[in-house]
Amino acid sequence: MLIHRPDGGVAQAPAELAPSPPVLAGRRIGILDNRKPNADVLLERLADRLVERTGATVVRTETKNAAIACSDQVLGLLAEEVDVILTGTAD
Amino acid sequence: MSVDTRPSEAPSGDLPGDLLDVAEGEDLVDALAAHGWGDGLPLVAPTPERVDAMLAGCPDADPDEVVAVLPPRFGEATRRTLAVNAVMTGCRPEHLPVLVAAVRALARPEVNLRGVNATTHNVAPLVVVHGEVARTAGYHGGLGALGPGNRANAATGRALRLVLLHVAGATPGDGDASTQGGPTKYGLCVAENAGASPWPAYPSAVGVDAPSAVTVHCGEAPHNVHDMESDDPARILDKVASAMATTAQNNACISQGEYLVLLCPEHAATCAAAGWSRRDVSSYLFQKARLPAAELKQAFQLRAWAPWMNRLADDDPAPMTEHPDNIRVMVVGGPGKHSSVVPSWGMTRTVTVPLDETGPRSC
Repeated sequence: MLIHRPDGGVAQAPAELAPSPPVLAGRRIGILDNRKPNADVLLERLADRLVERTGATVVRTETKNAAIACSDQVLGLLAEEVDVILTGTAD
Repeated sequence: MSVDTRPSEAPSGDLPGDLLDVAEGEDLVDALAAHGWGDGLPLVAPTPERVDAMLAGCPDADPDEVVAVLPPRFGEATRRTLAVNAVMTGCRPEHLPVLVAAVRALARPEVNLRGVNATTHNVAPLVVVHGEVARTAGYHGGLGALGPGNRANAATGRALRLVLLHVAGATPGDGDASTQGGPTKYGLCVAENAGASPWPAYPSAVGVDAPSAVTVHCGEAPHNVHDMESDDPARILDKVASAMATTAQNNACISQGEYLVLLCPEHAATCAAAGWSRRDVSSYLFQKARLPAAELKQAFQLRAWAPWMNRLADDDPAPMTEHPDNIRVMVVGGPGKHSSVVPSWGMTRTVTVPLDETGPRSC
């Protein structure tokens, strides 16, 4: 029996993660706090450890609200300023 | 593998790219589930013949036009794809224009569908059908309207959920992070009971003047409001306000959150008999649905409140939303004295679209 697929095409291909740099030493790390409760705790602790271990520099920013996607403007600025972005969700 | 998949991007053999071959005797639900499709309930096979018959519901429209792009998958919702999902839940062709309108409404940026689909909250869209199409296509707004028993309501609500699963990619654990999920994620569609409403039909209250319209409201499951004895609007609406004023909802920390208040005809009649308009109801609820600011601040460290709400003193009564317009009132249900409050997810807006603006022949 032939049936139609129920999903259809996609308008844009899924974004892929950029390849990780082999070494973090000397890199600029961006912290993108999505403003979920406790996300800042996780990200700050992670950033502190990375600075201790690698000597990386850290740039911190945040999204406007956890329920709204980060603006292209913020992402564009981050992309210019840092080599690696750490972000996440939490509750 | 019981299904021969031919990805639309790379068709092979003699099958068009959007067709699959299900082996004779295979269980359709299991076969589709192998692709991550379906909602767990039985489905109707979307054969080409059935899909073509469904598309007769939009006779003058291009079946392959993309009517919306739905996140987080950014799937392209064509009328044909919507018809496929409509077939799967048992819709009739006359239900397809309503499904198309609901999808168009959900794709409006103010709905924030990406957030609605991907959040940990249990939000799901409630579809309300208004006007002529509710009558001609058999949507039910009377006794038990939010429950089972009506094909148009059930099939359309469920078809919209399949669209969100399949086209939008809102699959649990992937594009949908809802912590517990919720029963309304199977589908929720109802008609406004305009015939039993003492006020003009809801679309006119939001500036939509059309013979038929569809509203989508992304929120929680309905919260019951029970009042069997009052002949005073305030006494009824105080109970509605009580259902609104809790800290256990997103709206408590997001001042633009909305409430859909579904009054039963008898509660609405009591309000109207005392001379209260729909606007009076919203305004009263704005005044009465409040909690001490200190209680809300204690409950939420992170608040997306309007600036003026952040200046409230601790002992000031803080409203549950920043403006009476965020309290949207319509009549649903039949005899009896139970109404409902549907708190929104928070960062989303209710949208009403006219069917005659959605293309040829209301589609």
